[in-house]
Formats: sequence, structure tokens, C-alpha cells
Amino acid sequence: MKIVVCVKQVGALGDEVEFTDDERDVDPDYLDYALNEWDSYATEEALRLRDEAGDGEVVALTVGDEDAEDAMRRALAMGADRGVRVWSDELAGADPITVARALAEVVRAESPDLVLAGVQSSDAVQAATGAALAELLDLPRVAVVTKLELGSGTAKVHRELEGGLVDVVEVDMPAVLTIQTGINEPRYATLRAIKQAEQKEIDVREPGDLGTPASRVRRMFVPPKGEGAEMLGEDPAAVAQRIKEIVEERMKS
Amino acid sequence: MARDPKHDILFEPIQIGPKTMKNRFYQIPHCNGFGSEKPMSQAHFRAMKAEGGYAAVCTEYCSIHPESDDTHRVSARLWDDDDIKNLGFMCDMLHEHGALAAAELWYGGPHAPCMETRCVPRAPSQIPSDFEHLTYPKEMDKDDIRTVQGFYVEAAKRAREAGFDIVYVYGSHSYLPQQFLTPYYNRRTDEYGGSFENRARFWRETIEQVKDAVGDDCAIAVRMSTDMFMGEAGTQLERDCLPFVELVDEIVDVWDINVSGISEWGEDATPSRFYESGRMLPWQKAVKDISKKPVLGVGRFTNPDLMVEAIESGSLDIIATCRPSISDPWLPRKIDEGRLDDIRECIGCNICISRWEIGGPPLICTQNATAGEEYRRGWHPEKFDEAKNADNDVLVVGAGPAGMECAMVLGKRGMRRVHLVEAKDDMGGIMRWIPQLPGLGEWARVVNYRKIQIDKLKNVEFIPNTKLDAAGVKEYGAEIVIVATGGYWATDGLNGCTHDTIPGADSSLPWQLTPEQIMDEGKEVPGERVVILDNDGYYMGVSLAEKLATEGKKVTLMTHLGHIAPYMHFTLEAPNQHRILHRLGVEIVTYHMPTKFEEGRVVASHVYDEHGHEQDFEADAVVMVTQRRSNEALYRELKDTVGVDALSAEGISGFYRIGDCEAPRLTADAIFSGHRLAREIDTDDPETPLPFKRERRVVEREALAV
Repeated sequence: MKIVVCVKQVGALGDEVEFTDDERDVDPDYLDYALNEWDSYATEEALRLRDEAGDGEVVALTVGDEDAEDAMRRALAMGADRGVRVWSDELAGADPITVARALAEVVRAESPDLVLAGVQSSDAVQAATGAALAELLDLPRVAVVTKLELGSGTAKVHRELEGGLVDVVEVDMPAVLTIQTGINEPRYATLRAIKQAEQKEIDVREPGDLGTPASRVRRMFVPPKGEGAEMLGEDPAAVAQRIKEIVEERMKS
Repeated sequence: MARDPKHDILFEPIQIGPKTMKNRFYQIPHCNGFGSEKPMSQAHFRAMKAEGGYAAVCTEYCSIHPESDDTHRVSARLWDDDDIKNLGFMCDMLHEHGALAAAELWYGGPHAPCMETRCVPRAPSQIPSDFEHLTYPKEMDKDDIRTVQGFYVEAAKRAREAGFDIVYVYGSHSYLPQQFLTPYYNRRTDEYGGSFENRARFWRETIEQVKDAVGDDCAIAVRMSTDMFMGEAGTQLERDCLPFVELVDEIVDVWDINVSGISEWGEDATPSRFYESGRMLPWQKAVKDISKKPVLGVGRFTNPDLMVEAIESGSLDIIATCRPSISDPWLPRKIDEGRLDDIRECIGCNICISRWEIGGPPLICTQNATAGEEYRRGWHPEKFDEAKNADNDVLVVGAGPAGMECAMVLGKRGMRRVHLVEAKDDMGGIMRWIPQLPGLGEWARVVNYRKIQIDKLKNVEFIPNTKLDAAGVKEYGAEIVIVATGGYWATDGLNGCTHDTIPGADSSLPWQLTPEQIMDEGKEVPGERVVILDNDGYYMGVSLAEKLATEGKKVTLMTHLGHIAPYMHFTLEAPNQHRILHRLGVEIVTYHMPTKFEEGRVVASHVYDEHGHEQDFEADAVVMVTQRRSNEALYRELKDTVGVDALSAEGISGFYRIGDCEAPRLTADAIFSGHRLAREIDTDDPETPLPFKRERRVVEREALAV
């Protein structure tokens, strides 16, 4: 069982935010970095499948510069067998399609039984990379996976729908599955595992032709505060009454 | 981060008499156990608040004469030139930080037992103290009155010489000037007793004399209790206090307004168990409404929004804090810098006050392990040296108060990686369920503060839902291992009275329960009649009694002690807690110890009964608050079974335990132990606390031998 798990180092905003001079990104000084939360679930799921199969390997794959190796090393500390990092300067600030192109090249070469990714990244929140990757690889794709059981050559997959509904599908492998949080409980990495992961070599590759970007960021800004907020007064009982009325009005329309 | 503009008003200067406060933050007089005799500890303790942004910082009550000697408790003293030197050092340190220094001139009257000086205190009337047993004063004649007023004047001059900017004529908490104003203390029939004008005469004259002596150089502050909650006998707002404000407003530079007398001063220093912040605002506003002078007062303010509201509502001009300034001496600075989530909020447990009430020991603080340690251990609450062994990785097992504190401080000391591993799904340990006891909600701040800090520290990782065994610890990969697995309430009745278990005691039975089983594990308390056995003497037994009685149980609270929860007298929680238990109909049985538990009954005898007569107490359930035990299984296995050599072979060079895992104790002490180890993690022997500086006179033997 060979699984490629796509992971991303995400930025998290602190209390304050400033943008870069060209206004196309958040100033990195205002970001803390971590392994994307969804990807830690995807990694755990990959490790579980590998361990249950009894052999095989989990390859953690990321697109990012050298600083992004911290997130990959977290996946390695959890137990991924090796890491591949793809980078060239033209990938800086790349859109999900371009990132998927860079990933697809490596996945093709690895030829895994399964490709896992998080549903989305917590910083960009596009949920597009997984879908694009499946399209580029011409593989079946299931999104928002909450349960995963392997058959022979197929996977039985639970997919989360609105309103608590679950869609159970069977999909041929290899496939690209995007993993939802809560599917498992990601293992922690002991200090020993973290130290060992620091020693693991990461295979760094340059991408081939990345094609034309599908989109680019023109400007990032803090939206102006909206107007028209209705203040409901100070008396708690009156406020509660007014909220009840508003909710009832909205429910009718 | 910058200050939120809505808090700007807190940082506006204000004039008090001849002095200017740079902002509205004022550390009210409060004790610390240092007085004038530990001048370095005193100065460094107060200066931390000045460094933290307080515009004025006071001494504790400051005795004006040997006749006002509060030994066994520790006050400051301005009796002679040497006291001027000692307190002068504190003034210098405060001034270096741009803060004003205030001295609270104090004459205790009958409440001062004079155990060191063996003087006889003077009072308006010869009535023994309602606070300090067996202390009788002599009734003052007019010569005595002139003499004592002279003490105030001379002490005020010494205060000025020491460098104090603000001088109090302190009455609150039933001390001499307020004794004259209060019928309860003043039974005189001369011109110093009877009518309001007569009762006010001593205080008015004293303020006038102090003002004449030092008023050009020092601001004159008057601290008054505006309601003693004693009916006609006590001072009353409308009858006495507002007229007194009108009488002397002209010569007073700043009013310090509170409530209560001394024997129930928990109505002033309010435990969070009974009161929220700002409890005294109505009284403070009443004074401010009629005074032309700035009004200050306490209210255990930790929230800047409430401070602003107190000013904008016209209740206060200056925000005085006592306990919040102990818990976080940098409170003003953190508000100024917009770092509100870094504020270490007071939890209102009054463990600080307990030390004064016990009489003597330095104050401690549950939230701030560095309180009182500024000089003697050189600890700064906000500054942390990088550890010499910061290239080490640390495993802390157990995220209770001690483990959280230790991990936080190690993180702030820059250890490479700190893993805080917890068996349960969140941090807090016992402080996850203790705040669910009646009235103790604010105690959750112990967890909240540390959780936020740990979350900010990139080198500290919290790992929940992970119960490590000895092998797991050994192979974890840490160079330093700290076990903080806490403690538990005895399940077999082991107790500090008989030093034995109790026959029949076994918390695995459905009708016997420990505090954790009730609060943390959801074990049901069966039946209607509950006997709670309390050999602990602090909050657990009475809190469970209140909880179960509120839920409709018929509760008997039994203790081998002469009082229930005697430690709560020290924390000022006792009076109101007794009221609650009485109102709920809880039966109190003191001086009794069970001889056995049987289903349906507790058999007990009086601890002083020489014949061992037994008495039955019907019980559908028995709750055992007997004693706590360390949860030391993991520590023992690592030390005794695995062994230090095997740990060392795994690269573990340091192996320690902290908190209740070492010995169950006050949360303040558990947190201290975690803090202490982290502060000293890079010494030659971190397990053994470094000696601290002791302020004492050391004699030179050779010089004395002559």
C-alpha cells in the first residue's frame, strides 16, 4: 500500500495583520505557521491504512519553499516514511490549479495506490487543489471524506453532506480523496519522533512546465466595516424580545 | 499592540493635593509580611507595581508608634529614624519608576495586641477588641488624645522625610479615628463622644494637625469605611460618613472609600465566592457625589472596561486595586499596551490575605508565583532569562496547575521544545472541576490564563488524551522529564486526625463518595441523608455541603476540628459561608470523628470523650473529605522500577516531580512548585530549591567577643 498524502504549511493570523507592499499577500511577519489542520487528519488516515495493510509507505508531498519543510517534518514525525518537496520561485503565491500541476507531476512518478489531501487549507480556504489534482491525474475523486475502508482495488468512502446526511460511495483505486477533520484522531509526535524526523532527508524537486496560472491575487485588504447595524438597546428583556421578533420575521420570508 | 482608545481615560493624569498621579492606577495599602523590617523585600515588591505602571503605590498599614503594634501580624512602622531609612528605600525605588509613594498611618487602638512592644493601646472607650482576643485598651483622657494626635503628626513628618508623597489618616477597618466616629467603639460622654460632631472631632482634629504639619508637601488621604453593616452601632453612610466628608472635604486631598469593620472585613476584601468586581461602587459614588476631591477605592477590578465604567459613571476618579495588583503587578501596563489576554486576573481566593490573618508569613498568590519573591529570589513576573540548558527538550506529564505553570515558564525560558502531555482532553487538572463548586467560578482563571499563555508559546505543545506509562515516558525522547500527575482524595478514609483509615470506608461502594467522584466523575449521591466528613478544614467540605444541600439533600457536615473550615477564617470566607450553610439547614457536628461507616449510618464519637461513647448519624451517603494523596504511581515506577540509570541511558538527564504529585497542597503552592522548578531548571541541582536571600541581622562574632 503506497499512499501519497499532500500536505501544506499554512499561515495563521495573529491579533494584527499587515499586507505586503504590493498588497497581494499578508506580510509574513504577521503569520504563524503550522501544518494545515485537515492535512494532519489526512496524514493520520494514510498512516492508519499503511499500518493496517502491514506494508507499503506513506509519502508526504508538499509545494513550498524551504521554510515549509517544518509542516512536512511534522507529517514525517507522525510517521510518514519520506517527504518530497516541490519548489521553484514561480510557485510563490500560486493558485490551486498551478499547485495541482506541480503535485500531479510527482504523484504520476510515484504511482501510488491512493492519494489523500485535506478538504481545504485553513489559510486560502478554496478546497480546489484536491479536485484539480484528480482532474489532472484523470483519477476518480471523493471530497469531504469522513470514513474510509479499503476493499480489493476499491475504497468504500463516507462523504459528508449538508444536514448531517452521509453519502456512501465505492470508488476504484487509485483515487484522490480529500479528508475531513474528525475522521480520526491524529496521533501526536513524541519528542523522539520529532528529532528523528529532523534527520530524515527531504527530496526536493523542481517542477516542469506549470502552464498558465488559472488566477492571480490582485489585491488583499481588510473589508471596510459595514453600516446599518441595528442597535437593540440595553434592557436585556427588550433585546431578547426584539431578537425573537426579528428571527420570526426572517423565518417567514 | 496599542492601547484601546476606550481605555484612554485610565491614563489621564490627576492632581491630588500638591502631587500629580500620572494615571488613574493606584495600589491601595495592603500587607505583604515585609513591613519596615524587611526593607529590601518591601521595596522590590512595591517597585514591581510601579514598574508595571501604577501611578501611586502604598505601604501596608504603617504604625505610627509602638503603642500600635500588631505583632503577630506584620505592619510597616514609622517609629524612628531607622524606619525612615528602611521605608525610604521603597520610596526611592517607586520614584525611579515615576510613581508616588503613600504611607498609611495607622493606630490600631484595641485591635493592636502589642505582643512585641508590650505597650498598652489607647482607645475611645475601655472595651476589649472584637477582633483580637484578650486585648484591652486604656480609655483616653484628653491628654491621651493630644498625645496620640502628636504621634500622628510626628509620624507624618517622618513619612515626609522618608520620601512619601501621600500620607493617610487611616480610619477604615475599625482603627482609631473611625473608632471615635463609631458608637460601637465610642461610648464617651465628653466632647469626643455622643453627637456626630463630637464623634467626628478626633478624626477632624487629627487630619487638621497632619495637614498643618506636612500638607504643603504631601497629599492627605483619608480612608473611611462608609458602612460597617452593624446597624445603629456601626458607622453609617447617611448618618456619619457623608456628613464627615462635608465636614473635612476642604482639608482632605483624596478620599479612599470602602465598607466593613475589621471583624468582618471580608465585606471589603470580598472573596469571589460571594461578590463580583465593583461591589462597593454605590458607596464610593455616594461620597463622590458630594465631595469636591478625587475619590478612589477598590473593587477587585481586573477588567479595564469596568474600570472605565466606574470613572465614567461618576463613582470613582482613581482605580485602586489591591489583590489584582498582587496577581498582576503589571496590570496597568498590559492595559496600556492592549495586551488584555496577558492579564493574570485575580481569582478572589484571598490566599494572600490568609497569610496576614495567620500572622506573619509573607504573602503568597495563587495566580502569581513570583509575588513576594521579587527580592529574595530575584523573580520577575514578566521577565524570564533564557535557560542555560535551553537546547533541551522537556516532557511535562500532567496539565494541572503545577504542570501548566511549569510548562509555561519553561516555554518563556526558551527551552527548545516543551511537551505538556495530559491524559484528559483538556488542561486544568483539578482546576477543571473545582470552579464548578458553588461560587468558585472565577477560580477557573487559573486555567484560562495559563492556557492562553501556553497557546502563544510556539515552543510549548499541548498533547491531550494521552496517558503515558513509564515506558512511554522513557522512550518519549525528552532530556528532561517532569511528572505532575497531581493527587486524589483518599478513598479509604485515611486522615490527619487518627492517621489511619476508617473501618468500613471504601469509595468503590455506591454510597461512599470522594470529591472527585461527585464533581469530576459524575457519581450519583444516593438517598436523602448525606454525612460529609471534613478532616481537611478548607473549602472542599463546606463547598460540597452547600452544593448537596442546595440540591435538596439533608446534609450533616462532620469534622474532628472545633470549627468547620477553619482556614476560611483566614481567607475571610467563613462568615458568609456559615450564613449560607445555616440558611440551608446544614447540620454542623464539630469535634467528632467516625469510628466506622456502615450502610445507612456513620458511627462517630467525640474526640475528647475519654470513654469512647459512640453516636449514630443516619446516612444514605457518606462523602469523604479526609485527606489527599499524591498520584505518584508513574513517578514511583520511573524512579523505582525503571530507575534513574535506565532513564539516563535514554538521554534523560533530569527527572523531577512537582505539585500535588510531590505533596498535595494549596493550589498556590502547587503552582509555586512548578514555577520554582522551571526557574531553576538550569542549576546544578534543580530538585533542591536555591537558597533565597534572607533579610536578617548577622552578627560578627569577633566584634562581639570584646
